[in-house]
This record gives sequence, C-alpha cells and structure tokens, in this order.
Amino acid sequence: MIDVIRIFGPLFVWFATFSAIYGLQGLVCSEHWPALGLTLSHGRVALVGAWLVAIGIQLGLVAVLQMRRVAPATGLAGDVSIWLGWSAVVAIIWSSFPVAVTSTCG
Amino acid sequence: MSPLRRHRQLTRIWQSDPGWKGWFTTVNHNDLGRMFMGTAIVFFLIGGILAMLIRAQLATPRSAFMGPEVYAQVFTMHGTIMMFLFAIPLIEGAAIYFLPKMLGARDLAFPRLTAFGYWCYVFGGSMLLFAMFAGIAPDSGWFLYPPLSSTLGSPGINSDFWLIGITFVEISAISAAVEITVTILRYRAPGMSLDKMPIFAWYLLVVALMILTGFPPLILGSVLLELERAFGWPFFQVAQGGDSLLWQHLFWLFGHPEVYIIFLPAAGVISTVLPVMARTTLLGYAWVIAAAVALGVLSFGIWVHHMFATGIPHMALAFFSAASTLVAVPTGIQIFAWLGTLWKGRPQLKLPMLWIIGFFATFVIGGLTGVMVAVVPFDWQAHDTHFVVAHMHYVLVGGFVFPFLAGLYYWMPLLTGRKRFFRLGETAFWLVFVGFHVTFLAMHWVGLLGQRRRTFTYEGGHGWEVINLISSIGGFITAIGFGLVIIDIAVNTVFAARIRRDPWRAGTLEWAMANPSPAYNFASLPRVSARDPLYDDPALPHRIARGEGYLGDAYKGQRETLVVDIATGEPLQVVVFPPNTPLPIILAFVTGGIFLGLLTKLYWMVPLSLIGVAALMALWAWGLGSRGDDVMRDVGHGLNLPRAATVPQPPGWWGSAFLLLADATFFASLIFGYAFLWTVAPNWPPPAYLEPGIIGPLVGLAGVVVAPFGIRLAERHLRRGGTMWPGVALALAGAAAMATAAIMAVRAAADPELHAYDAIIWVIAGYVLVHVALAAGMSIYATVRRYAGYVAPDRFGEVRIARLWTDYASVVALIGLAALQLPGAVT
Amino acid sequence: MTTLVLLVGCENSLSTVDPAGPAANVIATLWWIMLAGATLIFVFVMVLLALTFRRPGVADADNPVGEDGAARGREKVWLVGLGLCFPLVVLAALLAYGLVIGERLLPRDDPAVVTVHAEGRQWEWRFSYADAPDLVTENVLHIPAATPVDVRITTVDVIHSFWVPRLAGKLDALPGHENVLRIEAWKPGRYAGVSAEYNGPGFLGHRFVVIAHDAEGWSAFLTDGAP
Repeated sequence: MIDVIRIFGPLFVWFATFSAIYGLQGLVCSEHWPALGLTLSHGRVALVGAWLVAIGIQLGLVAVLQMRRVAPATGLAGDVSIWLGWSAVVAIIWSSFPVAVTSTCG
Repeated sequence: MSPLRRHRQLTRIWQSDPGWKGWFTTVNHNDLGRMFMGTAIVFFLIGGILAMLIRAQLATPRSAFMGPEVYAQVFTMHGTIMMFLFAIPLIEGAAIYFLPKMLGARDLAFPRLTAFGYWCYVFGGSMLLFAMFAGIAPDSGWFLYPPLSSTLGSPGINSDFWLIGITFVEISAISAAVEITVTILRYRAPGMSLDKMPIFAWYLLVVALMILTGFPPLILGSVLLELERAFGWPFFQVAQGGDSLLWQHLFWLFGHPEVYIIFLPAAGVISTVLPVMARTTLLGYAWVIAAAVALGVLSFGIWVHHMFATGIPHMALAFFSAASTLVAVPTGIQIFAWLGTLWKGRPQLKLPMLWIIGFFATFVIGGLTGVMVAVVPFDWQAHDTHFVVAHMHYVLVGGFVFPFLAGLYYWMPLLTGRKRFFRLGETAFWLVFVGFHVTFLAMHWVGLLGQRRRTFTYEGGHGWEVINLISSIGGFITAIGFGLVIIDIAVNTVFAARIRRDPWRAGTLEWAMANPSPAYNFASLPRVSARDPLYDDPALPHRIARGEGYLGDAYKGQRETLVVDIATGEPLQVVVFPPNTPLPIILAFVTGGIFLGLLTKLYWMVPLSLIGVAALMALWAWGLGSRGDDVMRDVGHGLNLPRAATVPQPPGWWGSAFLLLADATFFASLIFGYAFLWTVAPNWPPPAYLEPGIIGPLVGLAGVVVAPFGIRLAERHLRRGGTMWPGVALALAGAAAMATAAIMAVRAAADPELHAYDAIIWVIAGYVLVHVALAAGMSIYATVRRYAGYVAPDRFGEVRIARLWTDYASVVALIGLAALQLPGAVT
Repeated sequence: MTTLVLLVGCENSLSTVDPAGPAANVIATLWWIMLAGATLIFVFVMVLLALTFRRPGVADADNPVGEDGAARGREKVWLVGLGLCFPLVVLAALLAYGLVIGERLLPRDDPAVVTVHAEGRQWEWRFSYADAPDLVTENVLHIPAATPVDVRITTVDVIHSFWVPRLAGKLDALPGHENVLRIEAWKPGRYAGVSAEYNGPGFLGHRFVVIAHDAEGWSAFLTDGAP
C-alpha cells in the first residue's frame, strides 16, 4: 500500500493546499475579513504567505519521499512518486502564483 | 486431469445458470461485463437518436419541428444519457470484462456487487427512460442549475427524475469503482508486481479512485437539491441563506473530473492497443503512469473553469485558469509517448489503428480548443455558445468513442470468438470520421458568430444557416456510420468464422485464453515474470491450459482465485467466490423502492425498503466467511495458503476501506458546502446560531472516545478466547452517546425550512446518525457471528471491519458536531 | 469566412469576431492568435503522426520490436522534450497573456465611468441608470458611446447571463449577487444582446438591444427619457 500512497500522495496534497488557498481567497473577499479588522493588504500578505507555506510543504514531501523509512517495494513506484513529488511542486507554484500578481477581489 | 476435462469441470463451476434464469442470477464478470456494455450501447443508440432530433431541428432556421419545451427535454436527456447512462457504464463494463483477464484473475473481487451495480444501473436508467417516453423528462440542461431546476423554475416532477434516477445509477458507479480498485490492487496473477501490471490496469486504478472521489460531490448535490425540492430545505435559495453557486461548485467538483474519468480509460485502451498495432512496446511505461496519475489528480483542481462567467473574483479565476492549462502537460506527455511508440515500432494500418488515427486527429483539436477556453477572457465570449458544444464533442467523441471503437475491434475476438469477415468496418470508420468533422468543425465558428447553445431554433441573418445545415448533414452521415458499425459487429458475431487464440500477437494475459473467453478465464493461474507475459513465454497459454499454474484442480466445485500482495504480487490467500444467486437483483429491486418512494412521494415506502435492504444485506454477508474447517489450501507448486475469509483484513475490509474513501469525500463535500455558505452566501448569518451548551458536546465527545475503545476491547477479548460482550456494550454505549449529541443538536436547531444553516445542521446530524447506526449494527452483527462460529479467536476479520466503521463514525461525529457548534461558539 | 461576417447586418450581429468595443476587441485578437498557434501545433502533431508510417509494416513484424539501447534517448526526446517542455513553455506564455488581458478587462475605478443596472427576469431585461434614477427601460439599454460603462447585473428569479458579443464577454446574473461588467462601444450605434445561460422555455426570445449614443443623444436621453 505504501507504493500506492507514495504515487497518489504528492498531488493529493497539492489538491488540498490549492483548495485551501482558494478557500482563503474566498475568506479574504468575504465580509468576515473586514469584520476581523483586516484589510485587503493583509489579505495579500496572508495569501502569499499561504502560497509559500504550500510550496514548502510540497518540497518537504519530496524530501520525505527520499527517506528510507518510506522506501517503496518496487523501483517503479520510487521513480514515479519522486517525479510526481516534483510535479506537485511545479503544480503549486504554477496554479497559485496569481496570489502574487492578480487583483485580490476584483 | 486432461485439459479438456479441466475445462469441463471449471466451466460447470463458473458458468451461469441455464436458460433465461441465468440472466438474472449470474454473478460472473464475463456475463456482467457484456451485459453492462450491451446496455450502454442501447443507451448510446437512444442518446444518438436524440442527437439526430436536435440536428433535424437546427438544420434550418425557424423550424417548427419541436417547440421549446420538448426541445429542452431532448437536449437535457441527450447530455444526461450520453454522460451517465452510456459513457460511464461502458467504461465500467469494459473494466469488469477485461480487467480480471488482463490481471490474471478469474473474477472481480466482489462478484455479487458487480451484479447489484448492474441492476441498479438498469433500474435507474429505466426511470429516466420512462420519464422521457412519458414526456416528463428533466428539462433544465444536463447540469441542472438551480433555481431553474428547483421548485421555482421546474415545479413538475421532471427534475426529480434526474436527481433520483441518476443517484440510483451512481450506486453502480461507486460499487464498480470499489471493486475495480480492490481487484487491481489485490486480485492479480502471482508475480505480477506493480511494475509488471498492464498499463490498462494502471489507468483503471486511477479512474476508479477518481470515481470514488469525484462522484460523491454530485451525489451530495443531488441529495441537497432533492431535499430542497421535496421539503423546502433552502440550500440553494438565496433568500433563506442558500446560494445557487453552491450547486455549481458541487456539480463541477464532480463534472470536471468526470471528463477525465471518461478520457483516461480511453487513453488506457490506446496505450494497450497502439503498441500492438505498431509491433512494439509502449515507450515510457513509467512516464505514462505518472502522466495518468497527474492528469487524474490535477483534474480535481480545475472545476471552477466551468464557472468563469459567474462573477467570481479574477484571482480565483486565475487559479483555475492556471491549473486548467497545467492539465495539458500530462496530456501532452501521453500524446507524445504514443507518437514515440509509433516511431520506434512498425505501425500497421489495421482497423483498430484507423480508429486510433481518428482519435489523434480529433482529440488534439479538442485539447487545443480546451486550452483556449481555459483562458479566462476568451471563455467569457465562448462560454454557453456552440463553440463549447463543438469543443466538448471533439473531446468526448474523439477522446472516448473513437478509442473505445478501436478497443472494440481489437478485443472483438475475445468477446465473440470470431474473425472479422465482412469488411464494413472500414467504410463505417470513414463515414463516422468524416461525418463527425463535418458536423462539429464549423460549429466552432458558428459559436463565435454568437449562436447560443440550447436555443430551440434561431432567426436567419446571422450567417448561421449554412453552417447549421452542414452540421446537420454531417450529423446524419455520422449516424449512418455508427449504424454500420453496429451492423458490422452484429453480422460478424453471427456469421464469421472462428478465430485462433491471440490473433494480434499481443503480449498481455487476456490473450492467453481461448476465444471467446471461457467462464473461468484461466484453467490455472500462471506465474508472471514480465510485463508482457506472452512475449516472455509464448508457451504460457498451453501451460495454463495443462493446469501447470496455481489452482488448476477444480477443488470441491468452488470458485477460487488468488489474493496477492499489493506491491510484489506474491500470492497470500485463496478467495472463494459465491455461486450464482438472485440476491443482487432482489437487493437492487428493494433498493429501488427507496428511490421510487422518494420520487412518487409515497414516503411510507422508504422506511419499508430500508428495512428490506438491511435484512438482505445481513443475509448477503452471512454466506461469507469460514467456520474454521478447511482453512489452509494447497494451491499447487507446494504453496499452502489460508482462505481470504480467515485473515485479519479480509476482502470485505478492503472493500469497506475504499467505500469509506467515497463516503469521506461525500462528508468533506458537505463540510465544504457549509463553509462555502458561511463565507459567500448572502443573507448570512442566520437568525440564530446553535447555542453551544455543555451537556451535548460532552456527551458527544465521550461517545467519540468510548466507541473505538470498546470495539478494540472486544477484539482483544475475542483473540484471547474470551467474550466480546463487554467491549461491544461499550462500543454501543459510545454510539448511543454520539447519537444523543446529534439528536440534541437537531432539537436545538430551528425548522430546517427557515434557513440553510438549520437545514445543514439537519443534514450533518443525520449523516452522523446514519454512520453511528451502521457502526452499531456491524458490532452487533459481528457478535452474532461469534455465536454462529464465523468469528473466532483466530478469525477476527469481521470485527476489524466493524472497527473500521466504528472509527469512521467517531471521526465524522467529532468533526460534524464540532462544525455545527463552531459558529455559535465563536460569536 | 470573412464574407459570412460581412453578410451579417451589423444591427443584428452577435459576432464575437466583429468587435465594436475595446473588450471584445482584445478578446477577438486573443482568439486569432490562439487559432494561429493551435493550427501550427495541430499540423506539427499530424506531420509527426504521418511520419511514423514512413516504414510500413513488414512481413516479419510478427515479433514485437523490443527495447534497445536507444530507448532512453527516445524517452528524452519524446517525453521530456516534446511531452513536458514544449507544452510548459507554450502554456506559460498563453497563461500570462490571458491573465494580463483579464486584469485589463476588470471594472477598475475610472472617473469617466457611467453606471447602469441590468435586472434579468424570465424573460426580459430591465435597465435603470445611476444618472437618471427615475428612468427604467425594458429590453433596451442606453449607454454613451466611447465611454466606459459599468453594468451592474442582478436577477429576480433564475440565473441569466448578460451578453453583448460585439462589446464584451458575458457575465451571469446570479440570485443574491450583483456582478459588474465593464462594457464600452467605440461608436454610436445599436448592438444586439442576449441572455446566454439557459433559463427556461422563453430563452430564445430573451434578447435586448444596446443603443450607444453620442454625447448629445446621451444627455437628451437622460433628461427626456427618450432617444
């Protein structure tokens, strides 16, 4: 089962962090955000911060995949899961970079 | 034993009952795979006729053939049938039929579940057909946006047929996905490690996991919308705290993965057929697996690209635009892997290859227009026009129908046992291929000229007339082509000569058996040491037939196959499958009573049917298991393996685990919906949040802790030879405490018709109650089985299953009840 | 195809490739660029596909071509080069282009902007004007030409979608939400609009007209309520 988890894990985590950033963006643009005494600039900082954390998580996951403790039973699962780990790093950078460039709630 | 005698004995064991009765009692994947595919093709014909009606109507401006009401039913049913009653069931049927053969197993993991899924599909699909012939079919588009599809826009029964009928059909998708997953992971030939698995199985593994996580949001959406329509719980009504956008999120959380759920099996067919047609092996096997997994998971992160015109902030659109372009990368990797495979091989222009070329020419265009509509500003123009209609047909016909036709001609010898003799197939291909492009290529342009989708007619003078006429002519050419395909297959099935084994000289295990495939697949299960076992050892089919593999002795008239280790493929257990039984069709029929009761608003039918379902399921599970006699089995080659029913994690545990994956996705979608409404919906906060109180949360928390502890205690006592009762009593007390907390929350909430918040409380609490009841029921069942001798100190697998469900119930109770209290506690 | 465009009377035209305002214009340009790029890629793939048949199947092809030493090199070319890098570069460029345009089309603050309100219902549109609070028009929207206009879009019943193809992309009218679409017409004239989201049996007839006035006509409309 470790092989299957290794293969599906990295991008699954991408889906979770990507959705969480989307959720955070929704919160920033909702009425709850000003009710907490926060502005859109705070929102931008929070979003970029979340993005960087997410990238860190994906990089950490690549490191975990290299660890002996989670070694795969087949060489194939080792290769494929490391590629997919890096794919997830690219995916989170690529899919969430708008936090840094586009207008937040317009 | 001679091969012929072995063949006769195994056939007697595995074949369906003789006569008409066999259709209703069979649980063999050979029969059910064919039945699934055959039924799906019938629905394809019906959906195709609807398409012809649409093209007839749109051939000329101001056509008086259909009015807007009838036209709305026709386009809604065309989309619904093609997506839910044709594409998905055809994939399920193909997986059910081919997977065990490719993997080297004699059947799927849960044969009766296959049959149950099939009958749910037939009954649910029949509901929709009935609605169509009665003129009360769903009429608000296949994605059924409320408020148009809710009581405001569709007061009649039309939408109910969709919500209830499709949910019924989805049972078959979920059950097929559970068993496809378990089968691929555990029911393979000995020695078939993950890196030797046929590429088609990898694709289907991704697809099955996608169904388990992609369909639950739709099922949740359907439940919520039906609750709104039937009881006025306002999940999508903005005035009472709902939001119509919630439906769009839930629908497309399903709807976008759905596109890839349809494409990936087709890509699996291409990755299997194309190398054989080019006399080579697939280039970059590991790359293709990585691409398939990446495509599958990335496709979940792009659902909002169907909602670019809903006024969502540009940053959110940008996320999904970026993710949508990203999925083109793994698609590109696969396309170039196939081209590279052709490049290194010697492609031969046989009929399956012709369809694959048709796929390339069509799907690449669909992919490129897909990238176009992923670019937000362009989508603002193209959305809801005929451009999108053309795009999606390029993707779905090019990316699904063409590859499956390639597969159909490729595997026809296995299905029918006959050669292709009458060469209508080539003519049919050219008619379909040319007709398709005539229909849809210019349709992109008419969309850009502003023709909306779903208008029942149009005025002249926009430059649309010529293109629409050409499209209609092309549509009829395509239809004639598909007609010829069906005639071709029918004629060849009946008249053509018998064919030898492995006519394409392929390397995968499904070609190691006689044509057509015998009911038992393999006379003995071979040990596999290469990705293409037949290239590795051309004599393998003979050795299988001579019984030189495992389980070649037709032991005690039992249906047996091997369970292997997930990664290495080493055999671990022997599983004994149930024989033919009418139980699946009866269970599906009684399950239908639930849906029929909801549809006709005869609500007394619902609890009655539920009791029937529970009783039948208890009966269903009773036949499984072992009383401890004949535990070990000599499978051949000196290997002695235990029966799968006697191990700590029996097949039912694995089935439960993956069913719970779907269930957890359902619950996560529900929590997402709740958070979404809290964040985005106008008219929040509700008049009052739940008062947290002290007693309710404490009682609930106690239950959450005690129930998992209790069931573990029961297992411990059992394994020491003691009584299970103290532990089970604790588990039941915990369940009762959780149920109490859930009921207290509901009693404290306001009327669910008043505000979406209160309605959500009812749904979450209801969800917790159902799962607590399930867990309690399983604990009691396991205890009863102890007295019947099926559960014993060395056979505690069923207690493990109860433990799994108890743990799940505790987790959802904890999260669900906390989520209910959270807003009130914070404010 | 151009003849087809020309045949269409401008008055009725719903053509997105016959832009009459800045938003529709940048999107039309985007389309032509994407069409050119997509055509190139399509031809490239088809040529590769055709070239694979340069060595037709031969009689001894019964035995499959096995792996050889060149396999790794092939993977590098086909999978890394063509499969991975080629799409990534093309898509990065396209995505950046699309996002820049998308940002530019957003309704940003602008002192010159005129605000109107579009209210959808089954099956008509009611338009009202921030500069003339008592004025309501049905199925005809008046705007000043060569001026950015914010259309605040709402609905009283089901979901509709406000779409004037020659001026801008479409935007939905969602219950409980107000969406703002920036439109602008370069010149005075009449521009056809439709509801783009299916909304029931009257969907076909759910149309409207946008009339763009010159400065004089616009102030006359605001004071007299008639063009």
